[in-house]
Amino acid sequence: MPQAKASGIGAESLPKPAPKPTVGDRLAQVLRAGDADNRQLRWFGLAMLAFALLFPWFAGPFYMRLAIEALLLGAVALSVDILLGYAGLLSLGQAAYFGLAAYVSSLMYLYVSQSFWLVALAVSATVAVFSLVLGAIAIRAKGVYFALITFGAAEILSKIAHNTRAIGGSDGLIGIPVPSIPLLPGVAVDLHSNFAFYNAVLAGLVLIYLGTRRILNTGFGSLLRAIRENSSRVPYLGYNPFWYKLLTYLLAAQVAAFGGLIYPLLRGFVAPNLFGFEVSTKAVVVSLVGGIGSLIGPLVGSVFITFLESVVGTYTERHLFVLGLIFVVFVLFLPDGLVGLMRHVSERSRRPA
Amino acid sequence: MEDLLVYLHFVVLPQMIDALVIGVALAVVALGLTMIFGLLDVINLAHGDLYMLGGYAAFTLLGWGAGYWGALVLVPILIGLIGWGLEELGIRPLLARADRATVTLLLTFGVSLMLRDLAQVVWGTDTHAVTAPFTGMASMAQVFVPTYRLFIFGAGVLAIGATWWLVYRTRIGAVLRATAVDPGMVASFGIPIRLVYGLTFMYGCALAGLASVLLSPIYAVFPTMGHDFLVLAFAVVIVGGMGSITGAVVAALLLSQVQGLASLWIPPVWAETMVYGLMLLVLVVRPSGLFNRIGEA
Amino acid sequence: MKKTTLCDTTAIAALTLALVSNVYAADPIKVGVVTPLSGSYAPIGKQVRWGAELAVKEINAAGGVNGRPFELLFEDEEANPPVAVRKSEKLLQQDKVDFLTGTVNSGSTLAVGQLAERNDRILVTTVSYAPSITGAQCNANVFRVNANAFMQSNALTNWLTKNVPGKRYFFIGPDYEMGRSTISAFQKDVARLGGSDTGSTFPPLGAKDFSSYIGQIRAARPDVIMTATAGNDTVRLLTTLKEYGILNDKLTLAGAAGAVTQENIAAMAGAGDGFVSSAGYSTDIDTPDNKKFVAAFKKEFQADPDLFGADTYGLFFLFKQAIEKAGGTTDTAKLRAAMEDASWNTPQGKKTMRKGDHQAIVDMLVVKVKGNDFATVGKVPGEEAVGPDNCDNF
Repeated sequence: MPQAKASGIGAESLPKPAPKPTVGDRLAQVLRAGDADNRQLRWFGLAMLAFALLFPWFAGPFYMRLAIEALLLGAVALSVDILLGYAGLLSLGQAAYFGLAAYVSSLMYLYVSQSFWLVALAVSATVAVFSLVLGAIAIRAKGVYFALITFGAAEILSKIAHNTRAIGGSDGLIGIPVPSIPLLPGVAVDLHSNFAFYNAVLAGLVLIYLGTRRILNTGFGSLLRAIRENSSRVPYLGYNPFWYKLLTYLLAAQVAAFGGLIYPLLRGFVAPNLFGFEVSTKAVVVSLVGGIGSLIGPLVGSVFITFLESVVGTYTERHLFVLGLIFVVFVLFLPDGLVGLMRHVSERSRRPA
Repeated sequence: MEDLLVYLHFVVLPQMIDALVIGVALAVVALGLTMIFGLLDVINLAHGDLYMLGGYAAFTLLGWGAGYWGALVLVPILIGLIGWGLEELGIRPLLARADRATVTLLLTFGVSLMLRDLAQVVWGTDTHAVTAPFTGMASMAQVFVPTYRLFIFGAGVLAIGATWWLVYRTRIGAVLRATAVDPGMVASFGIPIRLVYGLTFMYGCALAGLASVLLSPIYAVFPTMGHDFLVLAFAVVIVGGMGSITGAVVAALLLSQVQGLASLWIPPVWAETMVYGLMLLVLVVRPSGLFNRIGEA
Repeated sequence: MKKTTLCDTTAIAALTLALVSNVYAADPIKVGVVTPLSGSYAPIGKQVRWGAELAVKEINAAGGVNGRPFELLFEDEEANPPVAVRKSEKLLQQDKVDFLTGTVNSGSTLAVGQLAERNDRILVTTVSYAPSITGAQCNANVFRVNANAFMQSNALTNWLTKNVPGKRYFFIGPDYEMGRSTISAFQKDVARLGGSDTGSTFPPLGAKDFSSYIGQIRAARPDVIMTATAGNDTVRLLTTLKEYGILNDKLTLAGAAGAVTQENIAAMAGAGDGFVSSAGYSTDIDTPDNKKFVAAFKKEFQADPDLFGADTYGLFFLFKQAIEKAGGTTDTAKLRAAMEDASWNTPQGKKTMRKGDHQAIVDMLVVKVKGNDFATVGKVPGEEAVGPDNCDNF
């Protein structure tokens, strides 16, 4: 049948072809997609991003660098959430990958190469190998034992770093230079500029966040949720939970490693404390405070807690007490964290008075 | 051959005896930890800080003229009561949640942070001494052991024995073991489960308090004293089997011997790391530990 | 009616305040003190804090530095290098301090020293005694006013080999950088001076029980036990030695200056009696300056000063002198030059800064513990004790 012409006699009665969607339309489509929950999160995420982008314009160099450190902790916290919120695995040892990445990064810069991408590759590879081995061992254990294995592994790495004088021993390593990150031929991000450093880390973290969100929004994510809810049923569907958990573990390790890769560039040194219990547990605390399962929660929680601690620290040395108290309050009364609180508030406001 | 015997007699044997004394004290601490986990499924990360509070309480009581023996009786009661408070306020509300093991772990972690700072506020940061009730050396087979350490050994064995008797030979113990297996059934008999949980937690913490009074004269009292012990106690509980009384005792004796003897031949810091490695090994190979949980066959 | 009175009172108060604060119209010299105020090194941080506070109080009361008062900003580093660096950055970039001091463990000093260099400011340590800080890892922006491990060892082993008849030495050090380098300095000096090394052991830092090392110590039958433990570790070590009957009149206990201090001596309940160490300071130094200092310290804080408090106190007089010599400015290059050639008065006498490595030359005292006090039993002049300049980085 010949195609009806879009113009000429009788054209008015033909259905008009839909106009090509503009960028604005597409954006609106993305923003409106998904259920109310996702939409809320999206708006929240965008609000946070806007704040983050505006932040350097009114913050001094110290706060910018503090924010960078908060973002790096956020990466570790994100890795905790990937495991806890999606796979149902509580890891008390993500600092193992943070520390490992930091040390590999430092040793590479000090002795092997100043090329950012080469170092990043080395870090990623090392972490991948370690996480594969440890993950394969740890995932077979149930519930709380997984947490203990991850804790034990981080402690052992911490002790090894502390006892090995060749990699600095208890004093750690200093003298890590501040490099430039080459992006395109001729275009490089010079990390000497706090502004550039901050935005580079922010960009990196946003990419990681979006990537993780993407991965977990697919069938993979649904399967993980199924495994978390009722893992004994999953094999009947034809899937082996072990491999999916392992894959998630590898992903989480890489995310935590991002934080460790950047840390020595920010602070110029590494020390065995970076493997420590304090780092692992801080990551868990900020995740919970931010909101487990939301992915954006840990990032928000990390920034919130880091800045809170900085403020509290000027008034009292008892910051551990304050941190512990906040944590206890959240565990008892606000288990869904700040994101949960936001959701609750917006739900309340939507309901008719 | 002669040299070997001398070595065994004067180097290895004393080392083993020392490790034995420490092992018994460690067993007392680990016992509390494992009972709390065995019954309530709670990993009490604040256990080390309760131990620390016990030490400070002993120091303060001694300062008020209570005397060592007074402290030995009062401190476990005190720490037990604090433990009870923690259980009622913090842990009980969380026991109903599905992820209770995770969430109570997190809660006790938060409490541990608070307690540590609190101790620094109240008692300051200096190290304090608690004087031993008696000094002197005893000689057994030409090996010298301070009499106070023998006392620690004896008191520890008594505490362990009393606990075993309580759990396996009394009605209360039977209720405890039954609750560990099937709380619903026990509740349907009209027994207040709340009370069982509360008392168990209290008892576990009281044990930590007892251990700290016993150990303070030789270890001194300072803010981070709890942390050192906690990690080792956890290794013991894991290796022995979480929730197993026999396991805690056997593992405590075993691990302290391993660390003590290993220190003779490899640098002590690596001996310490080795204990962690052992813990990891057990978690991987046989996560439930060497022995089974209270109540399980 | 009431309102007016309140207004009046507020106005009067404000005026008074303005008047009082105009005594120091000049802006203050800010000194950032990043020191452990919590955690296992907190007792040291406490003395550092006290020393700083007393010095600043006295200097400000006497008119400050060219009319400008010192202002102290404290931050808790928890003896954790990542925390130390973060807090130091706050002091440098946010609070814009002119100097940094207070770091205790060598890891923190090295990391903060690097940060200070990158921010063009000077860090002075009054506690860290790892030789590398003014040796292999020396830094143009880092100065040290206290005696380092090398100096301590030099003076101490000199005294020991001269005054103790027995020649058998045993060494115990906590197994971390500081412990190892201190013991290594002791071992070298003992060997050089003719003593015999009968063994060494390195318990982990924070070891619970030292009874496992008793066997080794007994087997070595030493005349002198030298230790580099500190704080609680020393308490546990010495009480265990006493418990097992190792301590007797024929055995001499010796060790690093930080091993037995005001903070842990009470907890040892006599086990530390007779402990010999070498330090740059002792409360019984018989000079009018020191007597005045000890009395003022006691009055202010109800406790005796130890070497950490005294060295930190003395530092502020170096700052004062350097700023005055540099013409009132806190420009880092000028300050560095002024500090490199400095020679200033402290409670323990005159200290001179060595230009080549930024290590202060300090007269070393050999100190013995008697009860809960320290008594000087010997002295080695600074020039003799200080050792070679190993710094090549500037």
